[in-house]
Amino acid sequence: MTNVTGMDRLQELKKDIFRCIHCKACKFAYSGEPSREGIGLYAGKQKTVLFEGMIDACPAGIEYGWEAFWNAGKMWIARSILNGDLEFSEDVRDALMPCITCGMCSAQCENKVRSVDVIESLRAACKEAGVPMIEKHQLVDRLVKELNNPYGGKAEERFKWAKDAGLEKYIDNKDAKIGYYVGCTASYRQVEVAIATAKVFEQLGMDFTLVGDEVCCGSPFFRIGAVDTAQELMNKNLEAFKGLEKVYFSCAGCYRTITIDYPKWMPEGEKLPFKTQHAFELVAKLITNEKINFKPNKELKGKVITYHDPCHTGRHFAVDMEQEMIKESKNLMFDMRKIKQRQDEWFEIPRIILRKLEEDVGVKFVEMYRIKLNSMCCGAGGGVRAGYPDFSLRTASLRCDEANAVGTDILTTECPFCWRNLTDANELYDHGLKVMGVLEMISKYNLLDLKEKPTQKELLE
Amino acid sequence: MNRIIEIDEENRYAIVEPGVTIGELWAYMHKNHPDWAPPVPDGAPPASTVMGDAIDRGFSLYTSSVGPQGDNFMCAEIVFPNGDVLRTGSWALLSAKPFYKYGIGPDIWSTIMGSQGAFGVVTKVAVKIYPHPKFKTIVVWGMSNPYDMQNFALELGKLEFGIAHHTVMVQGGNYPLVMTRWPKDKIPHDYKFYEEIGISKWWMNWEIWAQEQSELDHVIDVINKRAKDFKENRAKDGAAIKPQELHPKQIASRLKKPNKIAVPYGLYEAGFLFITWYTPWNECAHFAEMYCAAMEKYGFPPVMWIASIERCRQAICMPIVCFDSTKESDFEKVQDLNRETTEYGLKQGWFNYRPDPYIHIKAYYQAGMYWKYLRMIKKMFDPNQIMHPGRLGLP
Repeated sequence: MTNVTGMDRLQELKKDIFRCIHCKACKFAYSGEPSREGIGLYAGKQKTVLFEGMIDACPAGIEYGWEAFWNAGKMWIARSILNGDLEFSEDVRDALMPCITCGMCSAQCENKVRSVDVIESLRAACKEAGVPMIEKHQLVDRLVKELNNPYGGKAEERFKWAKDAGLEKYIDNKDAKIGYYVGCTASYRQVEVAIATAKVFEQLGMDFTLVGDEVCCGSPFFRIGAVDTAQELMNKNLEAFKGLEKVYFSCAGCYRTITIDYPKWMPEGEKLPFKTQHAFELVAKLITNEKINFKPNKELKGKVITYHDPCHTGRHFAVDMEQEMIKESKNLMFDMRKIKQRQDEWFEIPRIILRKLEEDVGVKFVEMYRIKLNSMCCGAGGGVRAGYPDFSLRTASLRCDEANAVGTDILTTECPFCWRNLTDANELYDHGLKVMGVLEMISKYNLLDLKEKPTQKELLE
Repeated sequence: MNRIIEIDEENRYAIVEPGVTIGELWAYMHKNHPDWAPPVPDGAPPASTVMGDAIDRGFSLYTSSVGPQGDNFMCAEIVFPNGDVLRTGSWALLSAKPFYKYGIGPDIWSTIMGSQGAFGVVTKVAVKIYPHPKFKTIVVWGMSNPYDMQNFALELGKLEFGIAHHTVMVQGGNYPLVMTRWPKDKIPHDYKFYEEIGISKWWMNWEIWAQEQSELDHVIDVINKRAKDFKENRAKDGAAIKPQELHPKQIASRLKKPNKIAVPYGLYEAGFLFITWYTPWNECAHFAEMYCAAMEKYGFPPVMWIASIERCRQAICMPIVCFDSTKESDFEKVQDLNRETTEYGLKQGWFNYRPDPYIHIKAYYQAGMYWKYLRMIKKMFDPNQIMHPGRLGLP
């Protein structure tokens, strides 16, 4: 565990914070494209939205409206804290916490302000300053400390889904070099996602293990500023997954946390001891390598499907990729094009699967208005689903509106947390959608047509 | 208050409330009135407001052709601190369209214009709209010094019945304007690099809008012919005068409005300051030379942006001071630079705008009577001083 505090992080980010000029691009999706063609005005369940040009896309700002809830206001709070003009208090905390940390703000910023890092550091510093966490966050913090998951699930039931689905042999499969990190949401709530992912792995002939000592990845705790809790969980997982060469994920949040956050919080100079990849990356790779096709399906034929980019696998990775490439760059004017190209390629990965589904299965793949770097959040992250459930569901409903606006039958995603929130909003606000994981769809409808098993090299690289 | 109230193509105005952003108005007109466009600022973020640009007497993409941005705002509705609602210009008559800026008797709107909200709350404005033709391009000529930039642009600016009206946006600057849009440690500082990629030490862009292709071709032809003539016969450094070839993507990017071009100067270190000055056009090179030297003296890169107002009658000169705003010492240096250059500039008869109030006060010292009357006007509109003072050094 490092001894770095939230305030230390805030100091490290000082130049980012002072780069904010309040241009307010961070309020919008497509902030530099006011004339972007769209799908027009759509009267949804939440509100009527003009899906054209640049449109409001900061969930907290949309919900609360006041300056402190938009990103630019938070950057001003950070500046005031660093300048000693403002002290942490419950009022400050209450402005900081209802932010989903979706990263839309970072993606829009021409001055490359790492605003998600700033907000997380502010929250950590706020807690360190003695301001109590909100009650619901205290509850999940207590639960994870007691049970290693924030849902209150028993440790011995973490892999009940695997036993029930006849996948027990993969639990602590000692010979495997590949791990499947399931995560708490897929283990205790959206078991469909865990079962589908494991079954797809099995169909591919992958020798993998479900690690019996797996605990919560710590994502919610990094996000809400409980970094001490998050680091304890990180250490447990690093110990539990020791010796594996590669770990696959089905949860966007876990994947982001272990791939991006762990190296930042591990002792200086230490690297993650295994490679990481999301399951959808593997499936896309096997499509590209012509190892798999999909089978036609009568039930799905003609259905309109769309794809929701989870913030954690989409924008967060793209922004992190950009930051890493900036760090390496000696001439950013030349390298910026490469960065944009890498980001585009990254966002295309899930779309390789969706286009293949369109080609082979007969579904019709359509895009929502806000996609990729400009994708609207599902509302679940950043501790908001636990802390501010009504706001969280209204945000998910806004996203469901967007799916309705393009005539969607099936709203797909690749994150059980997005899945949960979108499903709940879909039911609560009667959007009439079917929400599914992409791998869940592949598994449930038995779509996988394996032409050739992937090599161990393909699975490990 | 974020409604676009009316677009009138025949009388050529748009009426908006103060919350309407330039991005929203541009997009709305692009879709619903595609042959017309509002005078949005080039480079200011799309999230900035039409109203903010008016009340701060900003800049627009048409400024070179049609004159100062303030002139585009025809009429306004203003609520004063005592609750009075004033309608200016022709709007003074409730039944009137916003067709005439000066209204009944002396003009009050011009008093409010540039007040930064210090006098009252503007709740509605009528802004002129202009044709948005399909034929557009950018022509760029490079040179080695600001004098050639100034003098050649002035020659074209004087072609007022035709060429100069087609060049809606005439703007230029020096190569550090390109350099400082990137982090300081991630970009070459040596001019050699910029020379190799075809960027002259100084350059000027002419953004040309025309109703027909033949008109566009004619304007390009005249600019290029005159440039060659200037290079051969009148330039200070003719050898350095050359056209800068732009990739179609570069042209498309520069033609895109609104855009975020002016935003990333914070990336160079951690902060920047646009210090806006107005000079007669044929003094802008002197200004640029003086200011660039001063910026270098204080350790800042000499970043200069200059644009024409009203066919090179005036220049808006904007040094961009890129500094590290996390350091108090840098703030002090910026303040010293600002003070020294203000003292020099005021002696030349140049005007600074949107300044630091402590610097602005120096201008008042040289224009005491003007300040006296501004204070009286402020007192009349806002006797209890409840409005924000802006940065104007007023009570």
